[in-house]
Amino acid sequence: MSDLYLSRARNWFMHSPPAEWALSRLRETLIGALRQGPIPQHVAFVMDGNRRYARSHKIETIEGHHLGFEALARVLEVCYKCGVKAVTVYAFSIENFNRPKYEVDGIMQLAKVKLEQLIQHGELLERYGASVRVLGQRDLISPDVLDVVDRAVATTAHNKECILNICFPYTSREEITTAIRTTVEDYSTTPRPHNNTFSQSRITQKLMSKQGGLSTDGLASIRESSPAPPQSRTDDLDDSVSSSSTLPPDSPPSKSENGGNVTIYPNAETITDETITSHLYTAGCPPLDLFVRTSGVERLSDFMLWQCHQDTQIFFLDCMWPEFDLWHFLPVLVEWQRRQSKLEREERPRRRVKQA
Amino acid sequence: MPFTTKDLRAYRRDEQFGHKLMTPEERIKLLKPYLPAPPRSAAQRAELKKREKRSRLGVRRFLKSQWHALVYVIIHAFFSLYIRMRQAYHAVVNRIYSIYHHHHRTPELIQQDVKTLGRLPKHLSVILTLEDHGRRGAGLERLVNEAAEIAAWCASAGIPQVSIYEKSGILKGYLPETHQAVAQKLSAYFGDSFPSLSVAAPHGPPVESRPSSRGSRGDSQEQKRLSILLLSAEDGRDSVVDLTKTLTEMAQRSKLFPADISTELVDAELSESIMGEPDLLLLFGPHVELSGYPPWQIRLTEIFHVQDNQGVDYQVFYRGLCKFARAQMRMGR
Repeated sequence: MSDLYLSRARNWFMHSPPAEWALSRLRETLIGALRQGPIPQHVAFVMDGNRRYARSHKIETIEGHHLGFEALARVLEVCYKCGVKAVTVYAFSIENFNRPKYEVDGIMQLAKVKLEQLIQHGELLERYGASVRVLGQRDLISPDVLDVVDRAVATTAHNKECILNICFPYTSREEITTAIRTTVEDYSTTPRPHNNTFSQSRITQKLMSKQGGLSTDGLASIRESSPAPPQSRTDDLDDSVSSSSTLPPDSPPSKSENGGNVTIYPNAETITDETITSHLYTAGCPPLDLFVRTSGVERLSDFMLWQCHQDTQIFFLDCMWPEFDLWHFLPVLVEWQRRQSKLEREERPRRRVKQA
Repeated sequence: MPFTTKDLRAYRRDEQFGHKLMTPEERIKLLKPYLPAPPRSAAQRAELKKREKRSRLGVRRFLKSQWHALVYVIIHAFFSLYIRMRQAYHAVVNRIYSIYHHHHRTPELIQQDVKTLGRLPKHLSVILTLEDHGRRGAGLERLVNEAAEIAAWCASAGIPQVSIYEKSGILKGYLPETHQAVAQKLSAYFGDSFPSLSVAAPHGPPVESRPSSRGSRGDSQEQKRLSILLLSAEDGRDSVVDLTKTLTEMAQRSKLFPADISTELVDAELSESIMGEPDLLLLFGPHVELSGYPPWQIRLTEIFHVQDNQGVDYQVFYRGLCKFARAQMRMGR
């Protein structure tokens, strides 16, 4: 009995205006202090545990998702005030469509309502300079939600300070596959623009005119407008002639002539991992520094596989997502800063050795 | 700044009624105190800066930043202390674990340990790190030895497939030697009748060995097989890049439409040429960092590490298996 009174009294105290004011001051100070150290440029969150939280607190599942949204708003505020440039959140997996229909509909409705409000209060994200992007398989979103998504993305697109990526029907395998597909499309369906191709007849004509010493006005203007000097032009010509038979790996464009109609494909050998990275949904975001998953599950669950498998620091936390707040995030950030400064200390002497 | 209780209550009430209680203007009014100051244009900001510099030399801002720097130092000092204590605590706990659960190079003891577990991974993966401080030989020898130990534990526990990831791929250059070291370790554990062993790297022929002929008549050990796969950073991103190159060339020669590229196709190709999805990934480092592990395959893999642990240890292996047996896969449900 006394326990109950105690917790009530504590609740009352914590929610009294002076305590709330002090807490918010404390938060401001902590965030300001964190800014003094290195700050991760890109953070990803797996918002896991909404349903387990709802179950353990005996509330409806969808209520859990609503509380999860509030947690997201809190965390986003912390991130952007700290100076994080991009935040990526896993809102809905393609696998989540296997969930009960009423729950899927509830989440869709939640997303729609929240994004609609975002559109209504356009200046809200403007204050943070944040632009919203929705990553994922768009054709799985129902048309009415998709319309709202598009409008929300469009109204915030001009904000450049930071980015909020909402992964909504997303899986990382689908993302990588899409990146491969668009890369292949880029390299196989769109030939290089035609101003890059050299017409052999024009060059011979030019050479002839040069030899003949006839420089008419028209030809001179062509020479001035073309950026490359004449020698390199003939080099390229040699290259492309030989490439039709042997295809050396260092020549970027390869030609295949089909009855006079020249189609030029970029060389497939020039594809690197950066090419694929730039075709991912997260193209243009800084590299992922921090990956946080709540609810104690230690799996990536098909999220940011390509982005986080190198030197991203991965944290698995035991708290449920609706409880997640600065107090859970602070140790993660501080530990990240610690490791980062340790890495820097280790890098420095090595670099000195290399220079010597 | 978090919502005050009063405002939070108002927000939740509004939400419950489908956001019909408040007009957008009222909602803005609710939010306004929490928003940061509106962004100023660059010109305005510069002007403000100039004025501040002239009037107060930015004393207030200077003090504020000093105060924040102080708090930063305090936080990090306390955190440093906390980390030290945590490391000491974990060192003791891990030590106790490793004394309590020790394999003593006896397969029966390991079998005893795993007998109570509900399920075992069919494919276990580990990340090892080459710790070479200038001496090439010592680090390599250690690595081979660790790989052999892990292989022996898996063979004892009855895990048929192990993949060993090491970033630089140095082990791949010593395939026969690794095979020999593992075979020696297995015979040290099992005596005469050890399971048949194959050590392979992707895109290469495996080094195989038959089970030892002596003393294996109708023995259950004879049926056992252990296959070891050695992975390196080039089996990660580079394999996906190579696949993209091949697909691009096929598309350029009109052998394939880009629309045909599906997750199933990529998955089939990558599992064929590298490996399938491991069930459990063990990290022997102090924190979770994948250091280039193949990204495609790690999708649903259970990742296990012991906080502040250093080095390959049987207790990590055992605790990883226990954790795996307890974990439930929900596949998005």
